Amino acid sequence: MTFIRIENLGVRYGPIPAVTDLNIEMAKGSVVCMLGANGAGKSTTLRTFAGLTKPFAGRIVLDGEDVTGLPPDEMVRRGVSLSPEGRRLFADMTVAENLKLGAYLGSGRQGWKSGMERVFSYFPRLGERLHQRAGSMSGGEQQMCAIGRAMMSNPRVLLLDEPSLGLAPIMIAEVARIVRHINADGITVFIVEQNARLALKLSDYGYLLETGRLVREGPASKLLTDEHVQAAYLGGLASETPAD
Amino acid sequence: MLQLLTQIGVNGVMMGLVYITMALGFTLIFGIMRIVNFAHGEFYMLGAVALMFFYAHFGLDYFVAVFLAAACVAVFGMLVERVLLRQFVGRELNGMIMTLAIAITIKAAVAIVLGPQEVSIPRPVTGVITLGGILVPNDRLLVGGVAVVVLSGFYLFLRFAPAGLAMRAVAQDWEAAALQGIRPQRVYLWSFGIGCMLAGLAGALMAPIYTIGPYIGTVPMLKAFIVVILGGLGSLPGAVVGGLLLGLVEAGFATFINTTVATMISFGLVVAILLVRPAGLMGNAR
Repeated sequence: MTFIRIENLGVRYGPIPAVTDLNIEMAKGSVVCMLGANGAGKSTTLRTFAGLTKPFAGRIVLDGEDVTGLPPDEMVRRGVSLSPEGRRLFADMTVAENLKLGAYLGSGRQGWKSGMERVFSYFPRLGERLHQRAGSMSGGEQQMCAIGRAMMSNPRVLLLDEPSLGLAPIMIAEVARIVRHINADGITVFIVEQNARLALKLSDYGYLLETGRLVREGPASKLLTDEHVQAAYLGGLASETPAD
Repeated sequence: MLQLLTQIGVNGVMMGLVYITMALGFTLIFGIMRIVNFAHGEFYMLGAVALMFFYAHFGLDYFVAVFLAAACVAVFGMLVERVLLRQFVGRELNGMIMTLAIAITIKAAVAIVLGPQEVSIPRPVTGVITLGGILVPNDRLLVGGVAVVVLSGFYLFLRFAPAGLAMRAVAQDWEAAALQGIRPQRVYLWSFGIGCMLAGLAGALMAPIYTIGPYIGTVPMLKAFIVVILGGLGSLPGAVVGGLLLGLVEAGFATFINTTVATMISFGLVVAILLVRPAGLMGNAR
């Protein structure tokens, strides 16, 4: 059954269209990825889903409810949590404070405690870093903290914008492991990536975006062998990522 | 000599605490909303005027009157934010012109209602205490004491309260804060209210020591400006360091030379620090 349906979505920045006539469906508990080059409109799609950007056309339906144009706090309340591109941690604050902010809408101390336990189950190492300034950690640790912060609100849908960007291969493998772990707990994951091989290996279904329009979609295993995808995003068959 | 220096230190810290109270609100508003609040001096003045009514006219207890005055200024500030400033968040130049217009309007309105003259009100405490040869006027001690309590409370609020955490988050990255479920608009409203409350508090505290009139906000505003430039615009620790520095420098030069020179030197200090550290002592270069 369809859990999330994006219908004919159109987003503009001023007069410039960023995304046009986008249609996406996600089943509950699935991992769906969106591939595309820089500036194809991937981040815009996630930002619009999370409520940061208002769409110009179309609808977003979550679990049967029309949530188009709702502000970010209403989306968090409905279980949608975005880990944004570039991580956007509160660099001057401690890891603990960042996580606490992730549970801002949670029911006080209880929500914070259970959120912390959940995050430590994915990222045991964050526990040792709690009182460190978030900005002083390595890129990989910051990414763990950013995903952890997004998980603090106990989401039903996790939106990940370029989680592997700028990470060492070993950390990319770690991100992949964590996405699988989070998904295994029943959380629907929508992942946007430039690292197409990583994204397709993690996903059940994939969409390919070029200059704001969908050009391909299909089961991830099919896309992995698709000629167009291989030529444009996988750089032929030779290169291997340590995602597996 | 040591005693003289200690005396200067005490005078400087007493004055510095008032500067900090004033500057902290100013820098808080800038740090979170990117609005340079040129009306900050007018909120100081409104605090003094409100205290005059509550304390001198209605005869309320001094502490109750200070509390009410600060609360009134906070509510008025929130009203101003909601109606006039909301759309200027993040637009520094337009916001600056808007707050300038608000400042002139408030000043003129008070002058029309109360007249342009400056009045004095009775001091809640008088006399001087002597501690090991150091003289401290009781009224200054009272002002310093209240400032320390309020500033400590404000620090604990920012450090530990969820709302304080939300304020710091919005100051650092309002979009990332919004993604956590924080409503930036609500944070702007409260931050502006708290900033104005601190200005009103400073005005209410200083009212019995100085005179009260529509134009008394100008000098404290200028001092707050010096303090935040010294410390770094938008930096809260910077406001504390800058406030103490300004208080001490002024007290020192006022004692050894005179107050005119002290004022000149404090501006000279701003020029010097801006040349060496353009972002201020504790500011982040952007």
